[in-house]
Amino acid sequence: MDFELTEEQKAHRKEFFEVCKELEKKRPPSYVGFEAVFEIDECWEFHLYCAKEFVKRGWLALAWPPEYGGNGTMMDRVLFAEARGYHGIPGVDIFGVQMLAPTLLQAASDAIKKEFLPPIAQGKVMWCELWSEPNAGSDLATLAATAIKKGDEYVINGQKTWNTGAHRADWGFGVFKTDPAARKHHNLSFLLLDMKTPGITVRPIPYMDGGTPFCEVYFDDVHVPAKNIVGQENEGWAVVNLLAGFERSGMTEIMAMFRELEELVKYCNETKRNGQPLAKDPLIRNRVAQLACELQAARAIAYRIADLQNRNEMALMDASAAKIFYSELGERFAFLTTDIAGPYGQVKTSRWAPMHGAGEKAFQECFVTTISMGTNEIQRNIIAWYGLGLPRMK
Amino acid sequence: MDLRFTEAQEILRKMARDFLATECPKTLVRELEQSDKGYSPELWKKMAELGWMGLVIPEEYEGMGYTFQDLTVLLEEAGRNILPGPLISTVISTFPILEAGTEEQKKEFLPKIARGELIITTALLEADGTFNASGIAAKATPKGDEFVINGTKLFVEMAHVANYIICVTRTKDVSSPEKGITLFLVDSKTHGIRCEVIPTIAADKQCEVRFENVAVPKKNMLGKLDEGWPIMEMMLRKGAIAKCAESIGAMQTCVEMTVAYSKERIQYDRPIGAFQALQHIMADMWTAMETSRYLVYEVAWMESEGQPCAKEASLAKAYVNEVYKNVSKWAIRLHGGIATSYDHDIPLYYRRSKAADTAFGDTDFHRELVAQEIGLI
Repeated sequence: MDFELTEEQKAHRKEFFEVCKELEKKRPPSYVGFEAVFEIDECWEFHLYCAKEFVKRGWLALAWPPEYGGNGTMMDRVLFAEARGYHGIPGVDIFGVQMLAPTLLQAASDAIKKEFLPPIAQGKVMWCELWSEPNAGSDLATLAATAIKKGDEYVINGQKTWNTGAHRADWGFGVFKTDPAARKHHNLSFLLLDMKTPGITVRPIPYMDGGTPFCEVYFDDVHVPAKNIVGQENEGWAVVNLLAGFERSGMTEIMAMFRELEELVKYCNETKRNGQPLAKDPLIRNRVAQLACELQAARAIAYRIADLQNRNEMALMDASAAKIFYSELGERFAFLTTDIAGPYGQVKTSRWAPMHGAGEKAFQECFVTTISMGTNEIQRNIIAWYGLGLPRMK
Repeated sequence: MDLRFTEAQEILRKMARDFLATECPKTLVRELEQSDKGYSPELWKKMAELGWMGLVIPEEYEGMGYTFQDLTVLLEEAGRNILPGPLISTVISTFPILEAGTEEQKKEFLPKIARGELIITTALLEADGTFNASGIAAKATPKGDEFVINGTKLFVEMAHVANYIICVTRTKDVSSPEKGITLFLVDSKTHGIRCEVIPTIAADKQCEVRFENVAVPKKNMLGKLDEGWPIMEMMLRKGAIAKCAESIGAMQTCVEMTVAYSKERIQYDRPIGAFQALQHIMADMWTAMETSRYLVYEVAWMESEGQPCAKEASLAKAYVNEVYKNVSKWAIRLHGGIATSYDHDIPLYYRRSKAADTAFGDTDFHRELVAQEIGLI
């Protein structure tokens, strides 16, 4: 058993961290919380700027096959994620780079790969996901939006919701009902859509804190080329499952929390209450130490997943476990940070905001990751049914 | 980075697992709990033949010369099966001799330990119940060629069968409690030592050891006068990691047994494992166990490589303490009434989760170390 990185991996890690450290100096102060990219114009611009910097180094195509511009290894992806998480740097399109690209590489035709992968690698096209609907969240298979074949086009009607960054995206990948008469799970197709196609209306949803990271997307007789399909017609459900199974070790989120822990320690050392630094309060020491322990545990399982993936082994149980763990840790982190800040835990902006208002932002954002990408309750079902072999109840 | 165990480690693991399944069934575990000795000399002899006590003792002292990580593989299996007796106390108490002993002391003690001829343990805690040096009041006073020890030590594992007790004493009273601590290798047969087993939850024979004018030869000082605390810190660190290794093995049994039972136990015309509430608890038990495993594997590797890992050891111990208690508790709850019985196996693990918590530093002790390591002033 060996936790040591190779010399080459260490060198790559050093480079990822150096580049991200420099980019952090250019990050706008308004960039607080992970949804800032979608919510705030200058943060979106910064996201595009970082993407360009990464494209220069080929970092949006890590571990891709060389014929599509690929370079580096799966471990490089993890090390890069560490650097971005720690320095709070966007620039990697979660949807295009992290979700769609691996899916295309495994499930799409050569024509689709040739057309869509290069713009992703070059940071030229930003993506959004068009899956959930008002009546189809966890039970996605019951979605209602249709894509009816007409000649060499699909005509799409319906509505999607909770589409992160859809108001910013150039293209979207979505799943639609292409055969309303067919049985469940064999009636859906996975399509790629230009978000500028006539008939698509994007409406930002006001989040509880007033920001707009998520959107609704309406489709009124939207005509899209039928060739822009991933996998077989009516077999899009398999593609959805494939995509959902890809790596979400959470290394970015975990390293972001390591950074936040440093900020919290600094805050505790520098802030006085009841005549002494917060750091001297035994209860605070104990609770912060407990969080540090849990963070270390989150990192441990992320490395476990990274190790399995490096050998192209599946890590389904660990991926679900990791997702549950780091997302719920994020909740505890947000609650603890705002607890420690006392009444200041209520403040995100103005000179009264502690730690750049990150605590208040996190308090309002923390459950997003417990709900998205498969709710934690569904993840627990996955561990139970497919990992532990427990029976599914009818 | 490759987190697979080596083939040699997998062989060690399998061999240990098979050996313990045969030689240390739960009937023996319960028998030993009820016995005065708390361990089986016959089993101890067989373990010695396998080289377990000397696993990490260098070959020049008749040990196996294996790594600390190898040791944690063995201890994980011990935890999985439950292995009552002085294996951990002996192995961990060996480290102060290995790292701070004189050549003469090493030659005298290490081969005997490796051959299974010496059981040793360490007497640290006193009435205060703290793992900090501030709790050390037992005094060692110089007298000619000897030191005379007076004081009472508590929760000394297996002291009643130990041949030697490493006694942590105060030899100088200074403002900083970590200074002025000296370790002594005390022959347990020395006049003035009285040992009494404290009845503890895991029946693991933690003893009250009273030292009344116990004379120890100067040559049995371990390390330098007044400078013993860093040796203790090292021992606590290794002990913490070792105990974590044992605990992650134990947790695996708890999870496996619970999942298996939930598939067999029928209520409402179906296995209880079909109910979502239980499924989610089991998913959480698995998650907690899996995060613990890799956390412990990493720090065991760091310790094995000689990398500084005081922070990581405390992170691991503080985390695993709580996880083991919770996982074993949920194992009981998901079994329902039957698992509250003495004859059920899960309570054997649950009761040991509390013992594991308090061995080599409890949660609050390690959380305070973590607090310091992460920079809280």
